[in-house]
Amino acid sequence: MVKRIVDLRSDTVTKPTETMRAAIADAEVGDDVLEHDPTAFHLESEMAKIMGKEAGLFVPSGTMANLISVLVHCESRGSEVILGHNSHIHIYENGGISTIGGVHPRTVKNDDDGTMDIDLIEAAIRDSKEEITFPTTRLICLENTHCNHGGRCLSVEYTDRVGEVAKKHGLKLHIDGARIFNASVALGVPVDRLVQAADSVSVCLSKGLGAPVGSVIVGSDSFITKARRLRKTLGGGMRQVGILCAAALVALQENLPKLESDHKKARLLADGLNKIQGLRVNTSSVETNIIYIEIEEFSGTKAEKLCNDLEEYGILLMQTGLSRLRVVLHHQISESDVQYALSCFQKAVNGVNHENGN
Amino acid sequence: MVTKTVDLRSDTVTKPTEAMRTAMATAEVDDDVLDFDPTAVRLEAEMAKITGKEAGLFVPSGTMGNLISVLTHCDVRGSEVILGDNCHIFIYENGGISTIGGVHPRTVKNNSDGTMDLDLIEAAIRDPRGEIVYPTTRLICLENTHANSGGKCLSAEYTDQVGELAKKHGLQLHIDGARIFNASVALGVPVDRLVQAADSVSVCLSKGIGAPIGSVIVGSKSFIAKARRLRKTLGGGMRQVGVITAAALVALQENVGKLESDHKKARLLADGLNQMKGLRVDPVETNIVYIEIEEGLHMSAAKIVKNLEERGILVMEISSSRIRVVLHHQISASDVQYALSCFQHAVKGGQIENGN
Repeated sequence: MVKRIVDLRSDTVTKPTETMRAAIADAEVGDDVLEHDPTAFHLESEMAKIMGKEAGLFVPSGTMANLISVLVHCESRGSEVILGHNSHIHIYENGGISTIGGVHPRTVKNDDDGTMDIDLIEAAIRDSKEEITFPTTRLICLENTHCNHGGRCLSVEYTDRVGEVAKKHGLKLHIDGARIFNASVALGVPVDRLVQAADSVSVCLSKGLGAPVGSVIVGSDSFITKARRLRKTLGGGMRQVGILCAAALVALQENLPKLESDHKKARLLADGLNKIQGLRVNTSSVETNIIYIEIEEFSGTKAEKLCNDLEEYGILLMQTGLSRLRVVLHHQISESDVQYALSCFQKAVNGVNHENGN
Repeated sequence: MVTKTVDLRSDTVTKPTEAMRTAMATAEVDDDVLDFDPTAVRLEAEMAKITGKEAGLFVPSGTMGNLISVLTHCDVRGSEVILGDNCHIFIYENGGISTIGGVHPRTVKNNSDGTMDLDLIEAAIRDPRGEIVYPTTRLICLENTHANSGGKCLSAEYTDQVGELAKKHGLQLHIDGARIFNASVALGVPVDRLVQAADSVSVCLSKGIGAPIGSVIVGSKSFIAKARRLRKTLGGGMRQVGVITAAALVALQENVGKLESDHKKARLLADGLNQMKGLRVDPVETNIVYIEIEEGLHMSAAKIVKNLEERGILVMEISSSRIRVVLHHQISASDVQYALSCFQHAVKGGQIENGN
């Protein structure tokens, strides 16, 4: 029986649309290593303009975007970077900044809202007087929206303050802006204003914006020149890459305006889930397109079982802990998909209640 | 004046064909990080089959193909890899195996045919009894065809001999097979036979095979599983990557059969150039032609390159007296004739100046 699938595992699952596919087929291309692929150039310039930075660089993934950014800012051996203990770079990027880049991480506690206490950031900066035993702090990384903390937004005021701390201590500021557009839309702040304090930003095109592949790093001309070279070294120098950039350009056009509706769907889903006995969602913390679901103890079920049960109904989501699930909304999830998902959750939890004689 | 452009700088300049563009537009895709993109899986399985290895992994570039291979074979700190002093990994990959991977290179002289003397390779292998001061040799790398030697082919026999040497000393063998199909076609040896002795091979699809992007690494299942993880770490984990692997599948279908004709065109061009006073062409085995500018011509490579560019012929300046051209399927036989006439024109200046 053909099952209806509602894939809520991530916004990375978005498939290219017809317009994107047409753009891929018609893309003007060149050898982006020997010279500059014209469509890549167009995308990079466009992203730089949107973000208010001097230049941009297309890369195959957000992981490479962050890796390149950290390594370029920390190009001297013996560097340290301050970042959140629960940030994507620290948790989900294979420790590459260290294993590949030789950069030492200094984590500072992420609060529930995705921020780190300014005092704690400042306290983590190495005193250069003790350099005989210390690495040298060169960089602070923020993440906006903050993935592990439920897609929460860092405000422009907070970002600016961290920027000031960085400047005061001669450090650089990088923003992992994989979902920066979600933040911009949710906060109602233009994206260039939001990242004004940052020396570099990595922006994903393959998540909520829906492109099939890639991210763009933005920063100063000199930063991007170094980034381009490191991209080649890591193996990210692609040839006729315009075919991917063409899809990304369409994604920017088509899907940026749809993010607000992804957030609406997320709130709808969050409210509905919170009403289901046995599930708890902190609805006030659902600011963008990510929802974390706590499974209450009395429900008698665990995340793994609930995940499996939901999969039977065609609802795909991610298990993030023994009693914790995550769903992510994107433009290829319709409102009726949301309603269907809610009814499946209800059935699945009821089913367990039934099994446990509730 | 609009001149026709004949781009002979590299076989990487090949643009996607109509069939490729259609394939990209209609490709079946999925999230290749969360699960597996079905078109990527098809390509990887196809390449594994063609090369006679257990599994494959699509990567954005040949550089990443080699970087991942070397680092996966040398995953223990303190490793050393033996490779040619004129090989692509050593010269043109930003020293990444060291700067990124912490692997120490031990070069052995490349002969003009792309090989390294077996004795010299063996002599370069570190004696484990000296380990207190030595790194540990773990890997030997070959390159086939050998780019800097002029696209020269390493024979199956030579490759096997290096493989035996590696086995004898408990080392792995990786082949930078960016242009392995060119070698296979030129030698008349099936690809899987040619790379039989290798533990891993990196194969470019974006060069003579003509795909817009990418390479595939092939090797054992366990090797590829580790490679996949390192690919993610380096940032090469792409999502709906089927849009590009679809083009690569078409490229394999369409263009492997055209490589022989690229070699013919290269020989045609080489013969024609060799007849010009003041130019000397190294022997040509595949699709790469190196041109030496003889002293008597008193013309720099830069001057010739510029002159050619004015006529729409794009070539690569290698040094003050050396130029490289690379043939590919988007260069026609008439392009070759046109290029020859432009070269003739360019060197005539020097010939006339010097009373030739």
